Amino acid sequence: MNAMLRRWLETLAFWGLLALLWEFGVGWLGIRRYLLPPLSDVLLAGWNARGALLENTWVTLMEVLVGFAAAVLGGVLLGVLIHLSSFARRTLYPLITALQSMPKIALAPLMIVWFGYGFGSKVAATFLFAFFPIVIATLGGMQNVAINLDEHFRALGASRLDTFWRLQVPAALPAFVDGIKIAMPLAVIGAIVGEFIGAEQGLGHLMTMATANAQTDLMFAAILTITALAVLLYAAVERLAKAVWWRGISF
Amino acid sequence: MLHQVLPKPVAAPIQPAISARAVLKTFAGKHEVKALEAVDLEIRPHEFVSILGPSGCGKSTLLRIVAGLTPYEGGEVLVNQQPVKGPSPDIGVVFQSSNMLPWLTVGQNIALGAKLRKIPEAQAAPKLAELIAMLGLKGFENNHPHQLSGGMRQRAAIGQILALDPQILLMDEPFGALDALTRDKLNVELLRIWQEQRQTVLLVTHSISEAVFLSDRVLVMSGRPGKVVREVTIDLPRPRRPETIKQHPRYAEYMAELSQLMGVY
Repeated sequence: MNAMLRRWLETLAFWGLLALLWEFGVGWLGIRRYLLPPLSDVLLAGWNARGALLENTWVTLMEVLVGFAAAVLGGVLLGVLIHLSSFARRTLYPLITALQSMPKIALAPLMIVWFGYGFGSKVAATFLFAFFPIVIATLGGMQNVAINLDEHFRALGASRLDTFWRLQVPAALPAFVDGIKIAMPLAVIGAIVGEFIGAEQGLGHLMTMATANAQTDLMFAAILTITALAVLLYAAVERLAKAVWWRGISF
Repeated sequence: MLHQVLPKPVAAPIQPAISARAVLKTFAGKHEVKALEAVDLEIRPHEFVSILGPSGCGKSTLLRIVAGLTPYEGGEVLVNQQPVKGPSPDIGVVFQSSNMLPWLTVGQNIALGAKLRKIPEAQAAPKLAELIAMLGLKGFENNHPHQLSGGMRQRAAIGQILALDPQILLMDEPFGALDALTRDKLNVELLRIWQEQRQTVLLVTHSISEAVFLSDRVLVMSGRPGKVVREVTIDLPRPRRPETIKQHPRYAEYMAELSQLMGVY
Protein backbone atom coordinates (compact mmCIF):
# COMPACT_ATOMS: atom_id res chain seq x y z
CA MET A 1 0.00 0.00 0.00
CA ASN A 2 2.78 2.35 0.98
CA ALA A 3 4.75 1.49 -2.16
CA MET A 4 1.69 2.16 -4.30
CA LEU A 5 1.12 5.54 -2.68
CA ARG A 6 4.76 6.38 -3.26
CA ARG A 7 4.60 5.45 -6.93
CA TRP A 8 1.48 7.55 -7.28
CA LEU A 9 3.20 10.52 -5.70
CA GLU A 10 6.23 10.09 -7.94
CA THR A 11 4.06 10.16 -11.03
CA LEU A 12 2.19 13.18 -9.73
CA ALA A 13 5.46 14.95 -8.92
CA PHE A 14 6.78 14.31 -12.43
CA TRP A 15 3.76 15.84 -14.13
CA GLY A 16 3.61 18.67 -11.60
CA LEU A 17 7.24 19.50 -12.27
CA LEU A 18 6.64 19.47 -16.00
CA ALA A 19 3.68 21.86 -15.57
CA LEU A 20 5.75 24.18 -13.40
CA LEU A 21 8.61 24.11 -15.88
CA TRP A 22 6.22 25.17 -18.63
CA GLU A 23 4.56 27.83 -16.48
CA PHE A 24 7.75 29.55 -15.34
CA GLY A 25 10.27 28.40 -17.95
CA VAL A 26 8.52 30.53 -20.56
CA GLY A 27 9.16 33.65 -18.48
CA TRP A 28 12.75 32.74 -17.56
CA LEU A 29 13.70 32.05 -21.14
CA GLY A 30 11.88 35.15 -22.35
CA ILE A 31 9.76 33.29 -24.88
CA ARG A 32 7.11 35.54 -26.35
CA ARG A 33 3.52 34.82 -25.43
CA TYR A 34 2.30 34.43 -28.99
CA LEU A 35 4.91 31.71 -29.53
CA LEU A 36 4.38 29.77 -26.32
CA PRO A 37 2.06 31.16 -23.66
CA PRO A 38 2.51 29.99 -20.06
CA LEU A 39 0.38 27.04 -18.98
CA SER A 40 -1.96 29.21 -16.89
CA ASP A 41 -2.83 31.31 -19.95
CA VAL A 42 -3.58 28.17 -21.92
CA LEU A 43 -5.79 26.76 -19.16
CA LEU A 44 -7.59 30.08 -18.78
CA ALA A 45 -8.18 30.33 -22.53
CA GLY A 46 -9.47 26.79 -22.52
CA TRP A 47 -11.79 27.53 -19.60
CA ASN A 48 -13.14 30.68 -21.26
CA ALA A 49 -13.76 28.79 -24.50
CA ARG A 50 -15.01 25.65 -22.74
CA GLY A 51 -18.33 25.66 -24.57
CA ALA A 52 -16.68 25.76 -27.99
CA LEU A 53 -14.02 23.24 -26.98
CA LEU A 54 -16.59 20.75 -25.71
CA GLU A 55 -18.81 21.15 -28.74
CA ASN A 56 -15.95 20.68 -31.18
CA THR A 57 -14.51 17.77 -29.20
CA TRP A 58 -17.85 16.04 -29.56
CA VAL A 59 -17.78 16.58 -33.33
CA THR A 60 -14.24 15.24 -33.64
CA LEU A 61 -14.99 12.32 -31.33
CA MET A 62 -17.92 11.24 -33.51
CA GLU A 63 -15.80 11.45 -36.67
CA VAL A 64 -13.08 9.38 -35.04
CA LEU A 65 -15.46 6.74 -33.67
CA VAL A 66 -17.41 6.27 -36.88
CA GLY A 67 -14.28 6.28 -39.06
CA PHE A 68 -12.46 3.92 -36.71
CA ALA A 69 -15.38 1.49 -36.49
CA ALA A 70 -15.61 1.46 -40.29
CA ALA A 71 -11.85 0.88 -40.53
CA VAL A 72 -12.00 -2.04 -38.07
CA LEU A 73 -14.93 -3.61 -39.87
CA GLY A 74 -13.50 -3.08 -43.36
CA GLY A 75 -9.96 -3.96 -42.32
CA VAL A 76 -10.98 -7.23 -40.69
CA LEU A 77 -13.16 -8.21 -43.65
CA LEU A 78 -10.44 -7.45 -46.17
CA GLY A 79 -7.71 -9.10 -44.06
CA VAL A 80 -9.78 -12.27 -43.73
CA LEU A 81 -10.68 -12.23 -47.42
CA ILE A 82 -7.04 -11.95 -48.44
CA HIS A 83 -6.21 -14.77 -46.04
CA LEU A 84 -8.93 -17.08 -47.32
CA SER A 85 -8.82 -16.43 -51.04
CA SER A 86 -5.69 -16.94 -53.07
CA PHE A 87 -7.30 -14.81 -55.80
CA ALA A 88 -7.62 -11.90 -53.38
CA ARG A 89 -4.05 -12.52 -52.26
CA ARG A 90 -2.82 -12.18 -55.81
CA THR A 91 -4.95 -9.16 -56.71
CA LEU A 92 -6.19 -7.16 -53.72
CA TYR A 93 -3.12 -7.64 -51.56
CA PRO A 94 -0.64 -5.93 -53.93
CA LEU A 95 -3.19 -3.17 -54.49
CA ILE A 96 -3.54 -2.66 -50.73
CA THR A 97 0.22 -2.65 -50.33
CA ALA A 98 0.55 -0.01 -53.04
CA LEU A 99 -2.18 2.12 -51.52
CA GLN A 100 -0.63 1.80 -48.10
CA SER A 101 2.64 3.19 -49.38
CA MET A 102 0.80 6.28 -50.57
CA PRO A 103 0.97 9.24 -48.16
CA LYS A 104 -2.58 9.31 -46.82
CA ILE A 105 -2.32 13.01 -46.14
CA ALA A 106 -2.12 13.58 -49.91
CA LEU A 107 -5.54 11.99 -50.27
CA ALA A 108 -7.22 14.14 -47.62
CA PRO A 109 -8.00 17.05 -50.01
CA LEU A 110 -9.55 14.51 -52.36
CA MET A 111 -11.84 13.38 -49.55
CA ILE A 112 -13.11 16.98 -49.28
CA VAL A 113 -13.75 17.06 -53.02
CA TRP A 114 -15.55 13.74 -52.95
CA PHE A 115 -17.48 13.96 -49.69
CA GLY A 116 -17.83 17.69 -49.03
CA TYR A 117 -16.93 19.89 -46.08
CA GLY A 118 -19.01 18.05 -43.52
CA PHE A 119 -18.94 14.86 -41.50
CA GLY A 120 -18.48 12.46 -44.44
CA SER A 121 -15.07 13.64 -45.58
CA LYS A 122 -13.70 13.49 -42.01
CA VAL A 123 -14.95 9.96 -41.54
CA ALA A 124 -13.36 9.06 -44.87
CA ALA A 125 -10.02 10.59 -43.85
CA THR A 126 -10.17 8.80 -40.49
CA PHE A 127 -10.92 5.55 -42.26
CA LEU A 128 -7.98 6.02 -44.65
CA PHE A 129 -5.52 6.54 -41.82
CA ALA A 130 -6.74 3.68 -39.64
CA PHE A 131 -7.66 1.08 -42.26
CA PHE A 132 -4.32 -0.28 -43.47
CA PRO A 133 -2.72 -1.25 -40.15
CA ILE A 134 -5.85 -3.24 -39.36
CA VAL A 135 -5.78 -5.11 -42.68
CA ILE A 136 -2.11 -5.96 -42.24
CA ALA A 137 -2.50 -6.95 -38.59
CA THR A 138 -5.52 -9.14 -39.29
CA LEU A 139 -3.83 -10.86 -42.21
CA GLY A 140 -0.57 -11.33 -40.31
CA GLY A 141 -2.43 -12.75 -37.33
CA MET A 142 -4.42 -15.23 -39.41
CA GLN A 143 -1.24 -16.49 -41.02
CA ASN A 144 0.62 -16.69 -37.75
CA VAL A 145 -0.96 -19.92 -36.53
CA ALA A 146 1.71 -22.19 -35.06
CA ILE A 147 2.53 -24.95 -37.53
CA ASN A 148 2.14 -27.67 -34.89
CA LEU A 149 -1.40 -26.51 -34.06
CA ASP A 150 -2.30 -26.43 -37.73
CA GLU A 151 -1.07 -30.01 -38.09
CA HIS A 152 -2.89 -31.06 -34.93
CA PHE A 153 -6.17 -29.71 -36.31
CA ARG A 154 -5.57 -31.56 -39.56
CA ALA A 155 -4.89 -34.80 -37.68
CA LEU A 156 -8.16 -34.30 -35.83
CA GLY A 157 -9.98 -33.94 -39.13
CA ALA A 158 -11.18 -30.42 -38.29
CA SER A 159 -13.43 -28.79 -40.86
CA ARG A 160 -12.36 -25.54 -42.51
CA LEU A 161 -15.02 -23.70 -40.54
CA ASP A 162 -13.84 -25.15 -37.21
CA THR A 163 -10.21 -24.44 -38.08
CA PHE A 164 -11.15 -20.85 -38.86
CA TRP A 165 -13.23 -20.11 -35.77
CA ARG A 166 -11.56 -22.29 -33.19
CA LEU A 167 -7.92 -21.89 -34.25
CA GLN A 168 -7.18 -19.11 -36.71
CA VAL A 169 -9.40 -16.40 -35.22
CA PRO A 170 -8.23 -16.77 -31.60
CA ALA A 171 -4.63 -17.16 -32.78
CA ALA A 172 -4.98 -13.94 -34.81
CA LEU A 173 -6.38 -11.87 -31.94
CA PRO A 174 -3.06 -10.79 -30.34
CA ALA A 175 -1.82 -9.41 -33.67
CA PHE A 176 -5.23 -7.88 -34.34
CA VAL A 177 -5.32 -5.99 -31.04
CA ASP A 178 -1.81 -4.70 -31.77
CA GLY A 179 -3.21 -3.48 -35.08
CA ILE A 180 -6.07 -1.57 -33.47
CA LYS A 181 -3.67 -0.07 -30.94
CA ILE A 182 -1.68 1.36 -33.84
CA ALA A 183 -4.82 2.38 -35.72
CA MET A 184 -6.51 4.28 -32.86
CA PRO A 185 -4.09 7.27 -32.70
CA LEU A 186 -3.93 7.24 -36.51
CA ALA A 187 -7.71 7.60 -36.62
CA VAL A 188 -7.47 10.75 -34.49
CA ILE A 189 -4.77 12.11 -36.81
CA GLY A 190 -7.02 11.33 -39.78
CA ALA A 191 -9.93 13.30 -38.35
CA ILE A 192 -7.75 16.32 -37.47
CA VAL A 193 -6.08 16.30 -40.91
CA GLY A 194 -9.49 16.20 -42.51
CA GLU A 195 -10.61 19.15 -40.39
CA PHE A 196 -7.45 21.11 -41.21
CA ILE A 197 -8.07 20.87 -44.91
CA GLY A 198 -11.64 22.01 -44.85
CA ALA A 199 -14.24 21.99 -42.12
CA GLU A 200 -16.79 24.09 -40.31
CA GLN A 201 -16.54 22.21 -37.02
CA GLY A 202 -14.21 20.07 -34.95
CA LEU A 203 -11.05 20.57 -32.93
CA GLY A 204 -8.90 20.76 -36.06
CA HIS A 205 -11.11 23.54 -37.35
CA LEU A 206 -10.93 25.31 -33.98
CA MET A 207 -7.13 25.12 -34.15
CA THR A 208 -6.95 26.67 -37.63
CA MET A 209 -9.31 29.42 -36.51
CA ALA A 210 -7.26 30.10 -33.38
CA THR A 211 -4.09 30.29 -35.47
CA ALA A 212 -5.67 32.68 -37.95
CA ASN A 213 -6.73 34.95 -35.06
CA ALA A 214 -3.31 34.72 -33.37
CA GLN A 215 -4.92 33.12 -30.31
CA THR A 216 -1.95 30.92 -29.48
CA ASP A 217 -3.30 30.20 -26.00
CA LEU A 218 -6.56 28.83 -27.42
CA MET A 219 -4.56 26.90 -30.01
CA PHE A 220 -2.63 25.21 -27.20
CA ALA A 221 -5.84 24.56 -25.30
CA ALA A 222 -7.17 22.77 -28.37
CA ILE A 223 -3.93 20.79 -28.70
CA LEU A 224 -4.18 19.69 -25.07
CA THR A 225 -7.80 18.72 -25.59
CA ILE A 226 -7.13 16.63 -28.68
CA THR A 227 -4.18 15.00 -26.92
CA ALA A 228 -6.38 14.13 -23.95
CA LEU A 229 -8.99 12.72 -26.31
CA ALA A 230 -6.42 10.59 -28.15
CA VAL A 231 -4.93 9.31 -24.89
CA LEU A 232 -8.36 8.38 -23.52
CA LEU A 233 -9.31 6.57 -26.73
CA TYR A 234 -6.01 4.70 -26.72
CA ALA A 235 -6.48 3.73 -23.08
CA ALA A 236 -9.94 2.40 -23.92
CA VAL A 237 -8.54 0.28 -26.75
CA GLU A 238 -5.71 -0.95 -24.56
CA ARG A 239 -8.20 -1.92 -21.88
CA LEU A 240 -10.16 -3.89 -24.45
CA ALA A 241 -6.96 -5.50 -25.75
CA LYS A 242 -6.21 -6.87 -22.28
CA ALA A 243 -8.95 -9.44 -22.86
CA VAL A 244 -6.55 -11.09 -25.32
CA TRP A 245 -4.00 -12.36 -22.84
CA TRP A 246 -2.64 -15.42 -24.65
CA ARG A 247 0.03 -13.57 -26.58
CA GLY A 248 3.19 -15.60 -27.13
CA ILE A 249 2.03 -18.70 -25.27
CA SER A 250 2.47 -21.99 -27.08
CA PHE A 251 3.00 -25.54 -25.96
CA MET B 1 -9.00 -58.71 -18.07
CA LEU B 2 -5.51 -57.80 -16.98
CA HIS B 3 -4.31 -61.29 -17.83
CA GLN B 4 -5.28 -61.08 -21.41
CA VAL B 5 -2.36 -62.34 -23.48
CA LEU B 6 -1.09 -60.66 -26.59
CA PRO B 7 -1.74 -62.66 -29.75
CA LYS B 8 1.58 -64.28 -30.55
CA PRO B 9 3.06 -63.75 -34.00
CA VAL B 10 1.95 -67.08 -35.40
CA ALA B 11 0.80 -68.24 -38.81
CA ALA B 12 -2.83 -67.28 -38.18
CA PRO B 13 -3.69 -64.74 -40.89
CA ILE B 14 -4.41 -61.62 -38.89
CA GLN B 15 -4.98 -58.61 -41.12
CA PRO B 16 -2.47 -55.92 -40.18
CA ALA B 17 -3.76 -52.69 -38.67
CA ILE B 18 -1.00 -50.75 -40.37
CA SER B 19 1.05 -51.92 -43.28
CA ALA B 20 3.55 -50.05 -45.37
CA ARG B 21 5.46 -51.38 -48.34
CA ALA B 22 8.42 -49.81 -50.08
CA VAL B 23 7.49 -46.35 -48.90
CA LEU B 24 9.48 -43.57 -50.48
CA LYS B 25 9.65 -39.97 -49.42
CA THR B 26 11.83 -37.19 -50.73
CA PHE B 27 11.86 -33.61 -49.56
CA ALA B 28 12.31 -31.46 -52.63
CA GLY B 29 14.37 -28.33 -52.53
CA LYS B 30 17.76 -26.99 -53.50
CA HIS B 31 19.30 -30.11 -52.08
CA GLU B 32 16.95 -33.02 -52.40
CA VAL B 33 16.73 -35.04 -49.21
CA LYS B 34 15.76 -38.68 -49.33
CA ALA B 35 13.82 -38.95 -46.09
CA LEU B 36 12.63 -42.53 -46.50
CA GLU B 37 13.80 -45.26 -48.83
CA ALA B 38 11.88 -48.48 -49.29
CA VAL B 39 10.49 -48.63 -45.76
CA ASP B 40 8.44 -51.70 -44.89
CA LEU B 41 6.25 -51.87 -41.84
CA GLU B 42 3.57 -54.19 -40.55
CA ILE B 43 1.71 -53.75 -37.30
CA ARG B 44 -0.93 -56.16 -36.08
CA PRO B 45 -4.05 -55.01 -34.26
CA HIS B 46 -3.44 -54.41 -30.53
CA GLU B 47 0.29 -54.50 -31.00
CA PHE B 48 2.58 -51.92 -29.38
CA VAL B 49 5.41 -51.10 -31.76
CA SER B 50 8.12 -48.50 -31.29
CA ILE B 51 10.28 -46.94 -33.92
CA LEU B 52 13.65 -46.12 -32.46
CA GLY B 53 16.16 -44.01 -34.28
CA PRO B 54 18.45 -41.01 -34.08
CA SER B 55 17.17 -37.49 -34.78
CA GLY B 56 16.58 -36.84 -38.44
CA CYS B 57 16.31 -40.51 -39.44
CA GLY B 58 12.84 -40.01 -40.87
CA LYS B 59 10.90 -41.76 -38.10
CA SER B 60 8.58 -38.80 -37.56
CA THR B 61 8.08 -38.55 -41.32
CA LEU B 62 7.04 -42.19 -41.40
CA LEU B 63 4.54 -41.58 -38.59
CA ARG B 64 3.12 -38.55 -40.39
CA ILE B 65 2.68 -40.60 -43.55
CA VAL B 66 0.74 -43.26 -41.64
CA ALA B 67 -1.30 -40.46 -40.01
CA GLY B 68 -2.21 -39.12 -43.45
CA LEU B 69 -0.54 -35.79 -42.71
CA THR B 70 2.27 -36.04 -45.25
CA PRO B 71 2.05 -37.34 -48.82
CA TYR B 72 4.47 -40.04 -49.93
CA GLU B 73 5.83 -40.77 -53.38
CA GLY B 74 6.31 -44.48 -53.77
CA GLY B 75 5.01 -47.68 -52.29
CA GLU B 76 1.81 -48.25 -50.43
CA VAL B 77 0.52 -47.45 -46.95
CA LEU B 78 -2.60 -49.17 -45.66
CA VAL B 79 -4.50 -48.54 -42.45
CA ASN B 80 -7.12 -51.22 -41.78
CA GLN B 81 -6.53 -52.40 -45.36
CA GLN B 82 -7.47 -49.01 -46.77
CA PRO B 83 -4.92 -46.87 -48.59
CA VAL B 84 -4.07 -43.76 -46.59
CA LYS B 85 -5.38 -40.65 -48.32
CA GLY B 86 -5.63 -38.28 -45.39
CA PRO B 87 -6.27 -38.17 -41.66
CA SER B 88 -8.48 -41.09 -40.64
CA PRO B 89 -11.09 -41.15 -37.84
CA ASP B 90 -9.65 -44.53 -36.76
CA ILE B 91 -6.39 -42.84 -35.80
CA GLY B 92 -5.44 -40.56 -32.94
CA VAL B 93 -2.12 -38.75 -33.01
CA VAL B 94 -0.23 -37.53 -29.93
CA PHE B 95 2.57 -35.12 -30.76
CA GLN B 96 5.64 -33.98 -28.87
CA SER B 97 4.06 -30.59 -28.25
CA SER B 98 0.89 -30.93 -26.23
CA ASN B 99 -0.92 -28.68 -28.72
CA MET B 100 -3.13 -27.26 -26.01
CA LEU B 101 -4.90 -24.11 -27.16
CA PRO B 102 -3.85 -21.45 -24.63
CA TRP B 103 -7.20 -19.63 -24.80
CA LEU B 104 -9.21 -22.70 -23.76
CA THR B 105 -9.32 -24.28 -20.32
CA VAL B 106 -7.83 -27.72 -19.77
CA GLY B 107 -11.31 -29.25 -19.74
CA GLN B 108 -12.26 -27.51 -22.99
CA ASN B 109 -8.98 -28.60 -24.55
CA ILE B 110 -9.56 -32.24 -23.64
CA ALA B 111 -13.06 -32.02 -25.13
CA LEU B 112 -11.87 -30.22 -28.27
CA GLY B 113 -10.77 -33.30 -30.22
CA ALA B 114 -14.16 -34.98 -29.88
CA LYS B 115 -15.83 -31.72 -30.86
CA LEU B 116 -13.73 -31.35 -34.01
CA ARG B 117 -14.40 -34.98 -34.93
CA LYS B 118 -18.14 -34.32 -34.47
CA ILE B 119 -18.50 -37.02 -31.84
CA PRO B 120 -21.93 -36.40 -30.23
CA GLU B 121 -21.64 -34.68 -26.87
CA ALA B 122 -23.79 -37.32 -25.12
CA GLN B 123 -21.32 -39.97 -26.25
CA ALA B 124 -18.18 -38.01 -25.42
CA ALA B 125 -19.12 -36.43 -22.07
CA PRO B 126 -19.02 -39.51 -19.78
CA LYS B 127 -15.75 -40.60 -21.37
CA LEU B 128 -14.23 -37.17 -20.76
CA ALA B 129 -15.02 -37.20 -17.03
CA GLU B 130 -13.54 -40.69 -16.76
CA LEU B 131 -10.36 -39.68 -18.59
CA ILE B 132 -9.86 -36.55 -16.51
CA ALA B 133 -10.02 -38.67 -13.35
CA MET B 134 -7.81 -41.41 -14.79
CA LEU B 135 -5.10 -38.96 -15.88
CA GLY B 136 -5.04 -37.20 -12.52
CA LEU B 137 -6.38 -33.93 -13.94
CA LYS B 138 -9.40 -33.68 -11.67
CA GLY B 139 -9.66 -30.17 -10.22
CA PHE B 140 -7.64 -28.66 -13.07
CA GLU B 141 -10.41 -28.64 -15.67
CA ASN B 142 -11.02 -24.92 -15.28
CA ASN B 143 -7.37 -23.92 -15.31
CA HIS B 144 -5.68 -22.76 -18.44
CA PRO B 145 -2.86 -24.89 -19.89
CA HIS B 146 -0.12 -22.38 -19.03
CA GLN B 147 -0.98 -22.84 -15.35
CA LEU B 148 -0.06 -26.53 -15.57
CA SER B 149 3.29 -28.29 -15.64
CA GLY B 150 4.58 -29.71 -18.90
CA GLY B 151 3.83 -33.22 -17.70
CA MET B 152 0.23 -32.38 -16.88
CA ARG B 153 -0.22 -30.67 -20.24
CA GLN B 154 0.99 -33.82 -21.94
CA ARG B 155 -1.46 -35.90 -19.86
CA ALA B 156 -4.21 -33.58 -21.06
CA ALA B 157 -3.01 -34.02 -24.64
CA ILE B 158 -3.19 -37.79 -24.26
CA GLY B 159 -6.65 -37.43 -22.72
CA GLN B 160 -7.81 -35.35 -25.67
CA ILE B 161 -6.79 -38.15 -28.04
CA LEU B 162 -8.07 -41.05 -25.90
CA ALA B 163 -11.44 -39.29 -25.80
CA LEU B 164 -11.66 -40.00 -29.52
CA ASP B 165 -11.53 -43.72 -28.72
CA PRO B 166 -9.11 -44.37 -31.57
CA GLN B 167 -8.34 -47.93 -32.67
CA ILE B 168 -4.87 -46.82 -33.59
CA LEU B 169 -2.69 -44.51 -31.54
CA LEU B 170 0.25 -42.81 -33.22
CA MET B 171 2.65 -41.11 -30.85
CA ASP B 172 5.46 -38.89 -32.06
CA GLU B 173 7.99 -38.56 -29.23
CA PRO B 174 5.12 -37.75 -26.87
CA PHE B 175 7.38 -37.38 -23.84
CA GLY B 176 10.40 -35.96 -25.66
CA ALA B 177 10.05 -32.49 -24.16
CA LEU B 178 9.66 -33.66 -20.56
CA ASP B 179 12.21 -34.13 -17.81
CA ALA B 180 13.40 -37.69 -17.14
CA LEU B 181 11.36 -38.21 -13.98
CA THR B 182 8.09 -37.00 -15.51
CA ARG B 183 8.83 -39.08 -18.56
CA ASP B 184 9.25 -42.25 -16.47
CA LYS B 185 5.99 -41.53 -14.67
CA LEU B 186 4.10 -41.02 -17.90
CA ASN B 187 5.61 -44.19 -19.35
CA VAL B 188 4.17 -46.11 -16.42
CA GLU B 189 0.81 -44.47 -16.99
CA LEU B 190 0.85 -45.16 -20.70
CA LEU B 191 1.68 -48.81 -19.98
CA ARG B 192 -1.24 -49.03 -17.55
CA ILE B 193 -3.66 -47.39 -20.00
CA TRP B 194 -2.56 -49.52 -22.91
CA GLN B 195 -2.76 -52.74 -20.92
CA GLU B 196 -6.39 -51.87 -20.20
CA GLN B 197 -7.43 -50.54 -23.58
CA ARG B 198 -5.10 -52.32 -26.02
CA GLN B 199 -5.10 -49.85 -28.89
CA THR B 200 -2.74 -50.53 -31.73
CA VAL B 201 0.18 -48.24 -30.95
CA LEU B 202 2.98 -46.93 -33.09
CA LEU B 203 5.36 -44.93 -30.90
CA VAL B 204 8.22 -42.91 -32.29
CA THR B 205 10.95 -42.37 -29.74
CA HIS B 206 14.66 -41.91 -29.26
CA SER B 207 14.60 -43.36 -25.77
CA ILE B 208 15.82 -46.96 -25.67
CA SER B 209 14.38 -47.65 -22.21
CA GLU B 210 11.01 -46.23 -23.18
CA ALA B 211 10.90 -48.48 -26.24
CA VAL B 212 11.86 -51.64 -24.31
CA PHE B 213 9.61 -50.85 -21.37
CA LEU B 214 6.48 -50.41 -23.48
CA SER B 215 6.79 -52.28 -26.75
CA ASP B 216 6.09 -55.70 -28.19
CA ARG B 217 8.46 -54.93 -31.02
CA VAL B 218 11.07 -52.27 -31.66
CA LEU B 219 11.97 -51.21 -35.17
CA VAL B 220 15.39 -49.62 -35.40
CA MET B 221 15.79 -46.99 -38.09
CA SER B 222 18.91 -45.44 -39.53
CA GLY B 223 18.94 -42.14 -41.32
CA ARG B 224 19.80 -40.54 -44.67
CA PRO B 225 17.98 -42.19 -46.31
CA GLY B 226 15.73 -43.45 -43.54
CA LYS B 227 15.09 -47.16 -43.45
CA VAL B 228 14.27 -49.85 -40.95
CA VAL B 229 17.52 -51.70 -40.33
CA ARG B 230 16.56 -54.05 -37.54
CA GLU B 231 13.57 -55.45 -35.79
CA VAL B 232 13.80 -56.57 -32.17
CA THR B 233 10.92 -58.46 -30.59
CA ILE B 234 10.68 -57.58 -26.92
CA ASP B 235 9.69 -60.86 -25.35
CA LEU B 236 8.91 -59.65 -21.85
CA PRO B 237 5.85 -60.98 -20.04
CA ARG B 238 2.55 -59.14 -20.22
CA PRO B 239 1.04 -57.59 -18.29
CA ARG B 240 4.22 -55.83 -17.36
CA ARG B 241 4.52 -54.52 -13.84
CA PRO B 242 6.41 -51.23 -13.77
CA GLU B 243 7.97 -52.13 -10.37
CA THR B 244 9.51 -55.38 -11.55
CA ILE B 245 9.87 -55.39 -15.33
CA LYS B 246 13.20 -53.57 -15.31
CA GLN B 247 14.67 -56.33 -13.13
CA HIS B 248 13.79 -58.96 -15.69
CA PRO B 249 17.03 -60.48 -17.02
CA ARG B 250 15.94 -60.03 -20.63
CA TYR B 251 15.20 -56.34 -20.04
CA ALA B 252 18.93 -55.70 -19.59
CA GLU B 253 19.71 -57.81 -22.64
CA TYR B 254 17.34 -55.81 -24.85
CA MET B 255 18.73 -52.56 -23.47
CA ALA B 256 22.26 -53.69 -24.33
CA GLU B 257 21.32 -54.96 -27.77
CA LEU B 258 19.48 -51.79 -28.74
CA SER B 259 22.16 -49.56 -27.26
CA GLN B 260 24.68 -51.27 -29.48
CA LEU B 261 22.45 -50.99 -32.54
CA MET B 262 21.98 -47.31 -31.83
CA GLY B 263 25.73 -46.84 -31.50
CA VAL B 264 25.62 -45.75 -27.87
CA TYR B 265 28.52 -48.09 -27.16
